[in-house]
Amino acid sequence: MNNNIIHCIKEDYVEYLRDESRTIGKAESISFPKTGEEVIDIVKDMYSKEVPITIQGARTGLAAGAVPRKGHVLNLSKLNNILGMRVDEEDNYYVTLQPGAILSQFKEKIKLRKFDTSNWSFESKKVFNNFCKKEEMFFSPDPTETSATIGGMVSCNASGARSYMYGPTRKYIEKLKLVLSDGDTLTVERGKNFAVGRSLVLKTDKGMNIEFVLPKYLMPNSKNASGYYVEDNMDAIDLFIGADGTLGIITEIEVRLLKLPEIIWGVSCFFENEASAIGFVEEIRRNLKDIASMEFFDKNALYILKKQKERNPGFERLPDVDEKMKSVVYLEIHAEEEKVALSNLEKISKIMNSSKGKSKDTWVAKNDVGLNRLIFFRHAVPESVNMLIDERKKENSKITKLGTDMSVPDEHLEEVIKMYKKDIIKENLESATWGHIGDNHLHVNILPRDNKDYDIGLKLYEKWAKKVTELGGAVSAEHGVGKLKSKYLKVMYGQNHIDEMIDIKSTLDPKLLLSPGNLFEVGKRSE
Amino acid sequence: MSGLIIDSDACRGCGICIKSCTYEALEMKDKKAKVNENCILCGMCIDSCPFDAIKIEKEKTNSIELDKYKDIWVFIEQNNGVIEAVSYELLSKARELSKERNCSVKAILLGENVGKDLDVLFAYGADKVYISEHEILKDNLEEVYLEFLDKVILDYKPEIFLFGATNFGRSIAPRIAARVKTGLTADCTILEIDEKSGLLNQTRPAFGGNLMAQIVCPEHRPQMATVRPGVMEAVKKETNAKEVINIDMPSIKEPSIKIIENIIEEKAESISDAEIIVSVGRGIGSQKNLALVEKLAELLGGKVGVSRPLVDIGWADQKNQIGQTGSIVAPKLLVTFGISGAIQHLAGISGAETIISINTDKDAAIFTVANYKVVGDCVEILKSMISKLEKKCEKEQAV
Amino acid sequence: MKIVVCVKQVPSTNEVRLDPETNTIIRDGKQSVINPFDTYALEEGIKIKEKIQGEVIALSMGIPAAEKILRDAVSVGADRGMLLSDRSFAGADTLATAYTLSLGIRKISEVDLILCGKMAVDGDTAQIGPELAENLKIPHITNVSEIIEVSDNEITCRTITETGKRLVKTKTPVLLTVLKDINMPRLPSIDGVINSLDASVIVENAESLRANKSYIGLSGSPTQVVKTYIPERKNESIEIEGDSETKSEKINSVIKEVI
Repeated sequence: MNNNIIHCIKEDYVEYLRDESRTIGKAESISFPKTGEEVIDIVKDMYSKEVPITIQGARTGLAAGAVPRKGHVLNLSKLNNILGMRVDEEDNYYVTLQPGAILSQFKEKIKLRKFDTSNWSFESKKVFNNFCKKEEMFFSPDPTETSATIGGMVSCNASGARSYMYGPTRKYIEKLKLVLSDGDTLTVERGKNFAVGRSLVLKTDKGMNIEFVLPKYLMPNSKNASGYYVEDNMDAIDLFIGADGTLGIITEIEVRLLKLPEIIWGVSCFFENEASAIGFVEEIRRNLKDIASMEFFDKNALYILKKQKERNPGFERLPDVDEKMKSVVYLEIHAEEEKVALSNLEKISKIMNSSKGKSKDTWVAKNDVGLNRLIFFRHAVPESVNMLIDERKKENSKITKLGTDMSVPDEHLEEVIKMYKKDIIKENLESATWGHIGDNHLHVNILPRDNKDYDIGLKLYEKWAKKVTELGGAVSAEHGVGKLKSKYLKVMYGQNHIDEMIDIKSTLDPKLLLSPGNLFEVGKRSE
Repeated sequence: MSGLIIDSDACRGCGICIKSCTYEALEMKDKKAKVNENCILCGMCIDSCPFDAIKIEKEKTNSIELDKYKDIWVFIEQNNGVIEAVSYELLSKARELSKERNCSVKAILLGENVGKDLDVLFAYGADKVYISEHEILKDNLEEVYLEFLDKVILDYKPEIFLFGATNFGRSIAPRIAARVKTGLTADCTILEIDEKSGLLNQTRPAFGGNLMAQIVCPEHRPQMATVRPGVMEAVKKETNAKEVINIDMPSIKEPSIKIIENIIEEKAESISDAEIIVSVGRGIGSQKNLALVEKLAELLGGKVGVSRPLVDIGWADQKNQIGQTGSIVAPKLLVTFGISGAIQHLAGISGAETIISINTDKDAAIFTVANYKVVGDCVEILKSMISKLEKKCEKEQAV
Repeated sequence: MKIVVCVKQVPSTNEVRLDPETNTIIRDGKQSVINPFDTYALEEGIKIKEKIQGEVIALSMGIPAAEKILRDAVSVGADRGMLLSDRSFAGADTLATAYTLSLGIRKISEVDLILCGKMAVDGDTAQIGPELAENLKIPHITNVSEIIEVSDNEITCRTITETGKRLVKTKTPVLLTVLKDINMPRLPSIDGVINSLDASVIVENAESLRANKSYIGLSGSPTQVVKTYIPERKNESIEIEGDSETKSEKINSVIKEVI
């Protein structure tokens, strides 16, 4: 075993004990494998010594999934090559990559059609030549944090603004290669292995058969990244997407690309009050089919943005929002022809005017330049909130971001927004809310000013998790459960179903070494 | 008629030109390429043809006598009596070109009270200096300089006329070019005399630097070019030249632009404007080592930039932060110490011309964008660089 | 006040790539947008119109498809557009372009103020403004960082010079080239986009402008491009080796060469 790969965690590696959730963990050693074989060697070593492993990508996660509690940190950021391309009979293009590949760089490569094909197979190179001649394609899952790795996206079934139309990462994963906790490897391919009812059989690459009885819970009828994906007759690959690193270490991923729509237009619609904005959203949802994203920002979010703009040179280029406006809804139109996009624009105008808005209070982006301005604006909101939290954290290290990631079915959107607002006002807390309102998935961020605020915030969070579950929603819609939301997963499914999940994990990881603390606490299993 | 000509004998029907055309102006007819009405004569297809079958033909329209135009003239720009360094750079370049063209270098200096120390112009390359000193030339007003330069071109017929691409240069050069109806190429990075034609080959970046274009001005005179400060090298040489000639004043009417206020400012640069940046990241180790970085920046005449983690932990101010949530920088020189190269940081430095990176990790991502890679201890190297630079400074001062 | 804003249609990206099979340069960017620098000129013109009464006309020389960006200009507040389009305008360098634009402005007539962006992102010569002013025989001011006061016959503005700043005043007509970040260009509203569909965009050609054939297009261009090529990019970094002393020595000499 080459000990040059495994390093002791000293001062040099301190930053690897944290992720974007701003929690700080502990670990004894760390490694940065560059090949699948190195991953297997490291895993076998840890297995023999019974050392727990926490898996990391770019550490952009918000649920502390990459934050270690003890043991070894397996950082996959150097396992980042793009290995090849293929095309199927329906002219769908697929790219195989390693988990450490970064989303923003992958998107650039697709857009510029610049891949380093020097080590690719002859077949892949041929497919690439054809790819260069075709119309532009794209990888549709679009989480806001584009410095995330693809592996991380698979592990938490990441979504973004465009998932409203295109769906989450899950839909675009065609094949996975994983290293299991004992060093054996597993390959799963979409369409090749289905459960029978809730019974599933997998065969590892070494030839071992693994049989599962899948948990019996029903997943919520809303956007979901909470716990294992299970349903009757499911495709085996889906079990490993959104598994938060608890079942195996992903070492290879094949993703599917889509053709980029000819026309992409963005429209930011400003409203003088939030109720009008919500009414507007519901009308749009009922009437328009070409909307790829539907995003919402409340008045507090706009206010924080305004404040950050004043203080931070990086935000100087943000356009000013009229003082009267208290909320904004961003819509993105995807169409193949300009006249379709125009007709959508006209309908949006009508609906806005009848929702007590004014169609002149809009910003329209019809090309990349304008779209980038609107994207910059939207991304500045979570960025500003993070900066605010960081400042407060300097005074009080206990303070961290308290952001919800819950979704509910369509019919409960208004009710749940009313509940959030009422509770926050009642407890006199500072907050900002924004998110994927099209999927009824809003991030309610409580901004604690002191420990008291923080504790109250946590309690509200739990209350909301219960209510959202009652309404048939999900406690984690896109960030993943990680460690920070394991208790809410319990609220969502109850200990019995959590035990069923633990059973699945134990079958694949009997020593319980992989990502301890993610999804659930294995020690708390009810006997 | 001027236009795109495809030699149908040379054309092999390979279709490469069709692929290179963004405007869909080329199509295949009877196995030969043909141009249609969408052509805007951009010339991209010419370079793409492996058989040189395409060219743009231009009617000769101009009838000036090219032989009457001689010598390379350099506009010496002064602001408030101080000569801009770019003028010296242009004189030296002109000196080089004049040797190939077998002609002289002539400097033209306009201003008020600027005639004192002209030796330096000869040292940098001028064979003769033409000068006009007058109150009306004090404030670099385009309307005034235009008439002087128009008369100079009329009286002296320069074959080549070079200007610095300064704020003023980029304003006056096109104005005078349009006055005398000649060609001007802006921001040239390469200037050469063509061996065969004797023309000035003017090369400049286009499409934001993604392409280089080589341009000529075959039938109009003077051939005019602007060059940015710092692109050419100013070289002083021993010379016997010393002739200074006062030129006639043209008739000038009252300028219509009035200057109400002229404020001379200390160049307060923000990090985004800095030409030289020394940046530092977590790899620097402890906070006290930052002083070394500051010292090096000072010695190089640059500014200090930091990566985000240093701001997060309170070692530096947000205003020095480089990266996606800090400032975007595009310096001529960027030296990074202990920066690993997180994506958000790389996004802030993509415009840097030369990047030298020092890091202990040989696989650090910063090395994918660095021009020079140094795997080593940041603090040791810093200390060593500083001591060498300080020794050099002492030596230069002693001289 | 009659204001003309000169706008150019440019590709939305300057990215170029090599076709891997044929090794030819392919320019991406099927989208065309208003040259970003011109959006500042346009915004400034619209702001002036909103302050004192006036009319803003967006003017462009380009292929027929450039009509789209003139409508985009109307969608943010210009009153109408004029497109100068003719096959014989093709191949124009800045001199020929400036001449052609001046014909358009003469046709619009009685123009008080002409606003231009500093330069185009594809050609980036920054020459059109001064050359156009010369063709019209009116004064020009470059590097305008702020327009302080405007009336129907006078303008006061701040400009950036090599040594600092200036406050200048002049009578109209005058041509100004404005700097990036002089303002924040607005995005159109839905109303603006829908209204621009019917907006008046007149197309003029060489004949309707009574252009002198030897001053337009390729014939009117003293400069010509003889070749274009992709500059060599160093993707490989040069490694500096040795002990710390040696390394620092080498780094210092590289730095000396660069600065």
